[in-house]
Amino acid sequence: MDHMTSSSRTQWISGITLIVILFVLPVFLNEFGRTGEYWIWVSTEMIIMALFAMSLNLILGFGGMVSFGHAAFFGVGAYTVALLTKKADLPLFLALAAAPFTAAITAAIVGWFCVRLLGLYFAILTLAFGQLLYMIVFQWYTFTGGDDGILGIPRPEILGPTNFYWFCLVLFLICFFVMKMIVSSSFGLSIKTIRENMERAKFIGINVRRYQLLNFIIAGAFAGLAGGMLAELNRFAQPDFLHWSKSAEPILASLVGGMYSLAGPAIGSTVLIFLKIFLQQIHPSMVELWAIVLGAAILVVVLFAPSGLVGLYQNIYKKFQS
Amino acid sequence: MTWQLFIFMLINGLCQGMLLFIIASGLSLVFGVLRVINFAHGSLYMIGAFLAYSLSTLLSGESLLGFLILLLVIPPAIAIIGFVLEVTLFRRVYREEHLLQLLLTYALVLILDDSVRVIWGGDPRSVTRPDLLAGSVDVMGMALPSYNVFILVIGPLIAFGMWFLLYRTRTGNVIRAAVSFPDTLGALGVNVSWVMTSTFMLGCWLAGLGGVLTAALSNIDLGIGMEKIIECFAVVVIGGLGSVGGALLGSLIIGTGLTFFQLPFGRWALVFPYALMALVLVIRPWGLFGKPER
Repeated sequence: MDHMTSSSRTQWISGITLIVILFVLPVFLNEFGRTGEYWIWVSTEMIIMALFAMSLNLILGFGGMVSFGHAAFFGVGAYTVALLTKKADLPLFLALAAAPFTAAITAAIVGWFCVRLLGLYFAILTLAFGQLLYMIVFQWYTFTGGDDGILGIPRPEILGPTNFYWFCLVLFLICFFVMKMIVSSSFGLSIKTIRENMERAKFIGINVRRYQLLNFIIAGAFAGLAGGMLAELNRFAQPDFLHWSKSAEPILASLVGGMYSLAGPAIGSTVLIFLKIFLQQIHPSMVELWAIVLGAAILVVVLFAPSGLVGLYQNIYKKFQS
Repeated sequence: MTWQLFIFMLINGLCQGMLLFIIASGLSLVFGVLRVINFAHGSLYMIGAFLAYSLSTLLSGESLLGFLILLLVIPPAIAIIGFVLEVTLFRRVYREEHLLQLLLTYALVLILDDSVRVIWGGDPRSVTRPDLLAGSVDVMGMALPSYNVFILVIGPLIAFGMWFLLYRTRTGNVIRAAVSFPDTLGALGVNVSWVMTSTFMLGCWLAGLGGVLTAALSNIDLGIGMEKIIECFAVVVIGGLGSVGGALLGSLIIGTGLTFFQLPFGRWALVFPYALMALVLVIRPWGLFGKPER
């Protein structure tokens, strides 16, 4: 091992500082009464959606596979938690533990078909499967509650807003470090090799389909966990969680944040949610215009800064240093 | 099922299919030439429908003339919107990766759909059918809505028109050459970027036409763009990306399939397009009429 360079040391220091700030945040917010509680709720949502965005980026940024059906696994996780706690009376922690498994199983079945296709066709097939699952959840009244969804997911006594925030934060940090390990493992390197040059990856003996499928399943599992957490936060699950426009959210987050880094999508997702709430706070009617603002922002990123905020920051950082 | 009911459902299914074809063929044509899947096609279709509504309130509809004006004015208006979008935005991403192209068109969906919400609001609307098409036609003892029959006539006309344009005119030769050999075509002195712009406009014209026809067929609301674009994807994938003939077959399969499955399966019939789309992609990704990617 070579000794730590100064830039990786600053990264560690800023990372730890950020984690400490995130842990202390609700204590600070609790000083502000109702408003503070609202922002704790918002922060929890940000953490969950950041996990969702990062899970997609395992296949999008690191694997180079554009999926428009990722929300399906998010939704499966959400419905797993909703159904297990509501209909099977399982404790929340068990239900949350089951969410990544059901999502992974779904991802294994869907992915088995999808990894056979490349590029655009892969994207459309994931979209087709995603919409298929959405339609099934939407129509199956007796099991999923149809378009009403499942309301009133129970919440354990000890998990008040602040405790639930901490709970989600810990889960997020665990997932973050697991993903970091995955990305920098030999598996992660193989995935990046496939992204950069599939032919070459085949030549050096990488089983492309198997690696892509495994990556697809892992991403699905993390998405399922995020979905389960969101269902618990909102205390409901609805078919919209599986809709293809929900699949677009982590893609946009990855684009805005930068898809060639692990933390980029998390940053992008947080920035987007913050912008939305910020607009809402300026004036309630601004919510109407949110999609226009978001669309315009994406246009700007696509046309002028395709490497996202992290890429932009790196460019500026490099210029600053030289 | 009596044979009369069968015929009745078949005609209704074909009518749905023809309407879908008019919209989906535009998406397919644009993909064939530009190699961009335009998510915003559904939004343009929706704008066409809402513009038709607004113009019809100005024209005091019900007269055949008013409806003809809608059919003559709205589709070109959508084509002009398409022209602006192509020249300012699409043109800049043709050489980029698929993801950026998809995101660009998705950004347009967000902007256009929300603009429709801001301008027209969320209430369902519809265009009054002209007197001539408001009644029903008597076919073999069954009363068929004459508007559905009208769409059944328009659909094949559009299909024939597109076939004629693509395979029997010089313009069509140029468009088809732009699909297969854009670089050679450019070397031969054809302005390829103008071919792309006009093809895009033609696609948008079809979306606008579909919008006008829908507005008088059923209620229109803010969801129809998102709903229709996914149906169009299904059609285009089943028929083969870029193939107009395939789009016709795909539309008719989905239109009739949806109608017939509604009898035994009820609302579950709505699963059919997605299931078929996934099935075709798994078995024959390039679609029934398409060719495997080069």
